[in-house]
Amino acid sequence: MIYTILYGFTIGAILYFISVGLSLTFGTMRVINFAHTLTYTLGVYFLITTLAWFKGYFIVAALVSIMAVIPISYVIERFVIRRLYGESLDYTFIATFAITLIGVDLIKWIWGVSPYPLSEPVATQLTLGSFTFPIYRIIIFGIAILLFLGLELLFSRTVMGKIIIAALEDEEGVRCLGVKVSKYFALVFILGSLLAAMGGVLYAPISSVQPYMGLSVLLLAFAVVIVGGMGNLRGTFFSAFGLGMVMAITARYWSQGAEAMVFIVMAIVLIFKPIDA
Amino acid sequence: MALPSRPWFGENLFGLAVVAAGFLAIAYPLSAHRVTDFMIFCIFALSFDLLYGYMGRLSFGHLLYLGTGAYAAGLFIRYIDRDPFLACLVGILAAALLGLLLGLIIVRTTGACFALINLAFNSIGFFLVLSPLRGVTNGEDGISVRAAKAWFFNPANKIHMYFLVLACLLAVLYLLKKMTTSPGGILVRSIKENEERARFLGYNTYLFKWLTFTNAAALAGLAGALHALNYKYVNPNVMDANANVGVVFACLIGGAGKLYGALLGGLVYMIISNFLPIYIQRWEMFLGIILLIIVFRFDKGIWGYVETGWAYLKQRCGNREGLEETTEP
Repeated sequence: MIYTILYGFTIGAILYFISVGLSLTFGTMRVINFAHTLTYTLGVYFLITTLAWFKGYFIVAALVSIMAVIPISYVIERFVIRRLYGESLDYTFIATFAITLIGVDLIKWIWGVSPYPLSEPVATQLTLGSFTFPIYRIIIFGIAILLFLGLELLFSRTVMGKIIIAALEDEEGVRCLGVKVSKYFALVFILGSLLAAMGGVLYAPISSVQPYMGLSVLLLAFAVVIVGGMGNLRGTFFSAFGLGMVMAITARYWSQGAEAMVFIVMAIVLIFKPIDA
Repeated sequence: MALPSRPWFGENLFGLAVVAAGFLAIAYPLSAHRVTDFMIFCIFALSFDLLYGYMGRLSFGHLLYLGTGAYAAGLFIRYIDRDPFLACLVGILAAALLGLLLGLIIVRTTGACFALINLAFNSIGFFLVLSPLRGVTNGEDGISVRAAKAWFFNPANKIHMYFLVLACLLAVLYLLKKMTTSPGGILVRSIKENEERARFLGYNTYLFKWLTFTNAAALAGLAGALHALNYKYVNPNVMDANANVGVVFACLIGGAGKLYGALLGGLVYMIISNFLPIYIQRWEMFLGIILLIIVFRFDKGIWGYVETGWAYLKQRCGNREGLEETTEP
């Protein structure tokens, strides 16, 4: 059982990385960013290339590949998302989906369709009494906690964070104060994409790498965002870990049903708390 | 929003005749079997258009209902009775029932939530068919569907199948034409424009959204049952969640919110997806680029341009009112 809980925390942490970006972009820009799957997958594929360059220095490779996502997410924001502000949600959704199609096809072109194996970068185990834990999973969990605290600080202590929080509440009001909101939106978008790439890079060693890996994860992240409340950062944190735990516990008894269970929870939440989005 | 005028019976008949003639004309060069496939997709595109074009709710999981129809018909033929017409009916009912149940939850949301919840249910359905129900559905391998002869109709004969599907397509088109121009259909359109106002007028918009959703699911179920009969086997790929983009694309390229637009879009999409991969290998990228172009520049679709062109022609020929009559937002 203790392994199940640890697994739940790991999944929860990964879900948190990915869904924070979704929640932020939705909360500020009213855009459901399907291209989130693309940055997630791209991060992982960059990691594969950079790992070969840096001969296995995982941390360096991971940082480089996460940074490499910045220009791509900037291009997506600048040339597609920004042109669709204020358009109907459907169009932004279709447009970001189209970007994902193009990107996934590019990935298939460059890296091929076959899955890549990646091994855990920190193979050592932590032994506590009669239990052994893989340290890598504990590191992932630690990073998630740090990220949560970091984001809390960012949004409560810095001007940028305060502007973004204010824009979450009332975008027009902030614009009336003379703040160039679109600049901050671009920053939020890039931050979200970075976090997605980070989630991908951290998760890749314990999952499989293939061009369509982003889709199922995006659906899970979306369920997290719905359960936690759109644009609600703390809600996202707690629902990520809650649903991670649901997945882990379901997987213990019925391994194939884990993802379906998450959607069932989401459906139940939706029955009691319908969302206008 | 200009209200659509109630179509005169002859106008409907004329439209149906043109559609039938069109499909008959392309059946010759493209082979009947292929055109049957096209028409099934057109029925599916029409059911999607009811949801997206008329009610304004974009679904990314509509294939779930097609898959349900296909599996219900296939399993019915395999385990209970081999009558093809009964199987179609079972397919429609199964999809409608599922739509009725899931609609209760799904219809509460709008916008991208609606799209993604449908996608989520679609992936659950795909997963259910693939592994927990493996004992019945045979998992990845799918089941073969051997329908028996019913009266003079022989499902193994491609020409018979072609005419059955054509009749279904025309019936669906006529039904939708009636439905979307009826008072209820106009209410559904007004929900797309502004749901709050429609509710403010005292209409129970929830009920109408739910009914429309169920209708769309039932029609998708019909498309699924025909698909099962036409291909004579069903496998989980019929409800692959990733394939939903096809019907969205078809609706957008043809012009969402117009029945003939959806029909034309479905046809164009099928022709593209059947013949283009022969010439262009990077097919998904091409689809993505076209989708982007549609979203940015081309949001009326082919049918929108056809209508504008028709109105322009009418105006040139002296009918000054033609422009106001035929263009509507």
